Amino acid sequence: MRWLTLMEKLRSPLMVLPAVGVIVILFFGGLLVGLQQSLGYFPAIDSYEVTLRYYQDVLSDPIFFESLWQTFRLALLSTVMSSVLAIALALVLRDTFKGSRFFTFMFQLSIPIPHLVAAAGIVLLVTQSGLLARGAYALGLIAAPRDFPVLVFDRAGIAIQLTYLWKEVPFIGVVVLAVLQGIGPQYEEIARTLGANAWQRFRYVLLPLIMPGVLSTSIIVFAYVFSSYEIPLLLGVRFPTTLPVLAFQNYQDPDLAQRPQAMAMSIILTVIAIVLLIAYKRLAKYTVSR
Amino acid sequence: MKKALRWVILIGIVIVSIAPILPQFIWSFSHRWLFPALLPTTWSTEPWEYVMTPSSRVGEGFANSLAIAVVVSIFSILVGLPAARALALHDFRGKSAVEWLLMVPIIVPGIVATMGIHQVFIRLNLTDTFIGVCLVHLIPCIPYMVLVMSSVFANYGTDLEDTARTLGAGPLNVLRYVTLPGILPGLLVATMFTFLISWGQYITTVLIGGGVIITLPMVLFPFISGTNYATAAAVSLIFVAPAVLVLFFTSRQLGRESSVMGGFGRL
Amino acid sequence: MFGVKRTFFILLVIMMTVLGAVAAQDASEDELLGAVPGYETWADVLAAAQGTTVNWHMWGGSDKINTDVDRDIGARVLELYGITLNRVPVVDTADVVNKILDESAAGDTTGTVDLIWINGENFRTLAQAELLYGPWSESIPNAQFVNWEDPALAYDFGFPVNGYESPWGHAQFVIEYNTALVGEEPPRTFEALAEWAAANPGLFTYPAIPDFVGSVFVRHLFYWAAGGPEPFLGDFDQAVFDQYAPMVWEYLNALEPNLWRAGETYPEASVLTDLLANQEVAFNMDYNPGRAASNILEGIYPETVRTFVFDTGTISNNNFVTIPFNAPNAAGAMVVANFMLSEEYQLNLTDPTNWGWLSPISPAVYSQEFQDAVAAFERHPATLASEELAAHTLPEPPSTWVTAMEQGWIENVLQK
Repeated sequence: MRWLTLMEKLRSPLMVLPAVGVIVILFFGGLLVGLQQSLGYFPAIDSYEVTLRYYQDVLSDPIFFESLWQTFRLALLSTVMSSVLAIALALVLRDTFKGSRFFTFMFQLSIPIPHLVAAAGIVLLVTQSGLLARGAYALGLIAAPRDFPVLVFDRAGIAIQLTYLWKEVPFIGVVVLAVLQGIGPQYEEIARTLGANAWQRFRYVLLPLIMPGVLSTSIIVFAYVFSSYEIPLLLGVRFPTTLPVLAFQNYQDPDLAQRPQAMAMSIILTVIAIVLLIAYKRLAKYTVSR
Repeated sequence: MKKALRWVILIGIVIVSIAPILPQFIWSFSHRWLFPALLPTTWSTEPWEYVMTPSSRVGEGFANSLAIAVVVSIFSILVGLPAARALALHDFRGKSAVEWLLMVPIIVPGIVATMGIHQVFIRLNLTDTFIGVCLVHLIPCIPYMVLVMSSVFANYGTDLEDTARTLGAGPLNVLRYVTLPGILPGLLVATMFTFLISWGQYITTVLIGGGVIITLPMVLFPFISGTNYATAAAVSLIFVAPAVLVLFFTSRQLGRESSVMGGFGRL
Repeated sequence: MFGVKRTFFILLVIMMTVLGAVAAQDASEDELLGAVPGYETWADVLAAAQGTTVNWHMWGGSDKINTDVDRDIGARVLELYGITLNRVPVVDTADVVNKILDESAAGDTTGTVDLIWINGENFRTLAQAELLYGPWSESIPNAQFVNWEDPALAYDFGFPVNGYESPWGHAQFVIEYNTALVGEEPPRTFEALAEWAAANPGLFTYPAIPDFVGSVFVRHLFYWAAGGPEPFLGDFDQAVFDQYAPMVWEYLNALEPNLWRAGETYPEASVLTDLLANQEVAFNMDYNPGRAASNILEGIYPETVRTFVFDTGTISNNNFVTIPFNAPNAAGAMVVANFMLSEEYQLNLTDPTNWGWLSPISPAVYSQEFQDAVAAFERHPATLASEELAAHTLPEPPSTWVTAMEQGWIENVLQK
């Protein structure tokens, strides 16, 4: 009997153990090594002294803050725009009509497409000599490539955001669609009979219901853009770039003494990501409970 | 009026969805296509001939990417399913800590842990190996598997299993005839996600694979950054094909199974 | 006991010699190799290389170079020596340098890299850390063709080669321009270039450092500021640097508003190629004087692109290959490097319809047939005559200067 209760007690921990084990060993193990080196413990270059110097170096470097701001700005803008567009399009797509399955499939099309392929596609469209510029030339809107607006390799990172929008709108949209389908039309019917207009039905009935899904999906999107490496590398400017690119450049510097600084940068990046997550969760709770 | 607006939006969705992909078909058959020509001035099958040669390493990259994604997906299912079930259906001490542990890798940039892992893997001789790359891909894949599947389990509940058990079904039969069919649609979507996450990994593979394990993104990247757009387009299309195939099989589950995608609402 | 060992040894030597004789084409295979670690004679090397795989890590961004390497080197060394050439494409050679540094830090004595396409700073980093195999490059049979007295071959960006690198191809900086936008007569001095850019804003730019083409463009400005390369050819001297650097930054910052995108950003070298192709800009630049011609033939550039060199000359250097200390197959790597100096391969390399590179070897050391074939090559109108290039060649400064100039550009131009 006691054996059985013990088994019962251990069952759940045993079930989560493999997943937790793999993540702790690989992810947190990797993080720990990074932390060690960021503190200057780096036997490969005969450095054993524990110091906060590298954190000071990073935090006194204006380039770090410019990259941080660029990373944050790109992530925030992409997330907000994706969320708004996703809600709007999901509302259009949720009705069942002739061909709705086809349109839903087309809407989801970009979900499985790798970000690199999306980046290649966006570049072909939006450079100053890209397909859009050629269309504008054919229509007589521009006379030469340089008349076309600058959308790529720009400081604002427009092509980067377009790539993320194209990828993430359907991702959030599919979650919203799933929630909408789970709700069904009853609530809105009731609101309608109570005299609510279309905007009120959306604002006071639908939005509160879909908001939890949108908020937590948008955390994932935010985190994804925040960690982006290859997209800003391909479509962005060399300066200012994103933090992951900056950290990796430092990491790959042939001067091994740059390593601890790269590690310090990534530890700071980790702390920022976790703080943002906690803040976001608080905010989400607050918004939803209202 | 409202109807017309809806059709404009729907057609807009279709155009925007295919706009970055369709031109790549044309690019992949172009030899000379300079501004302001709307179509290539010289057509050619050269890019496709090139990707078919061993020199381009597209075939090798494809095989590696596929093998890694399959291994990573299977392993994610094996360790992710029990964890997801425990988190969804049972209460136990330290549950919220476990939930946090498993969510942090989704939030923290993958490159951060990879740099540390790289240092350890060099010592363990796991850099430049297939297994090393699979291991590092597991970091983002397992959390997604747990996230989606715990939602599926929570929605699915245990009622059916309990009923089957009271009717005298053994544990294996319950698994085979009740649990698996019940969670299968959700499992398909979750597997699609892990497959695609592994399929799209770039910088983690570059660092741990050390250029010895070549995957498709590593073949594609230099062509995009080298503005070799005709070849990039051909490689892109090969890169996309399996992914779109996967969507084709899971599209219905994506749209209809609210509990599956609802999983992302549980973060 | 002793007898058995001895007999076995003799048998081994005979076997190796026979194997070597079958595989080799050079007569010098029995000659002693000197200080090459691990091997007595070239025949030993050939025997050890037979049937092996060579992992060659090299920048992989050009499918033309990739295809040519596989066809003209890979296929040939397989036929001649039974060596499988595994070309490992990398985005940046510095990544390979890092890999070697990491392997060494982890005490890894058997690595994964056999051969690296390298020069300049990357070579210096590995050589100074003593992470290279060798010396070997002066001892391989075809090293006889290399003029090791030539400073451009004895030094790589001022760092002594000393048998740790073998030359592959020769490079010289040229500016590419589109005659449709610039006209027939390009600006051949830095003063004329600045004037042209002021009159035609937005049509000129250069690649962002640390790209090596952007870096060499800036080096030319230092030579211009000092009236020649001489002050920069010795060891790095901060006082000399401070004397000329302000003039360079002043020139570049004055030029900036007239650059593409008003200098708000600088393109990657490959993006600049696309910009010239689509007439977004009128100029591009490269270390390979034959690239414009090959890009025209490939359909990448319009037919109207031509090249020029500055009146005061342009910088030239050599591409090398090197072998890391922990190469699992140094023998195979040496055989490949040796093949790359052969008459057969160098002819392919200089063929303008094929690679269109310059050869690091003086044609006079090869056979009459080779010289006739080179003389018969038809030069594309976008490629300058080799006499004109040779008359305008400038040396590279030591890489310590390069590092300082690059850092200075980032701080004083990019981030300004």
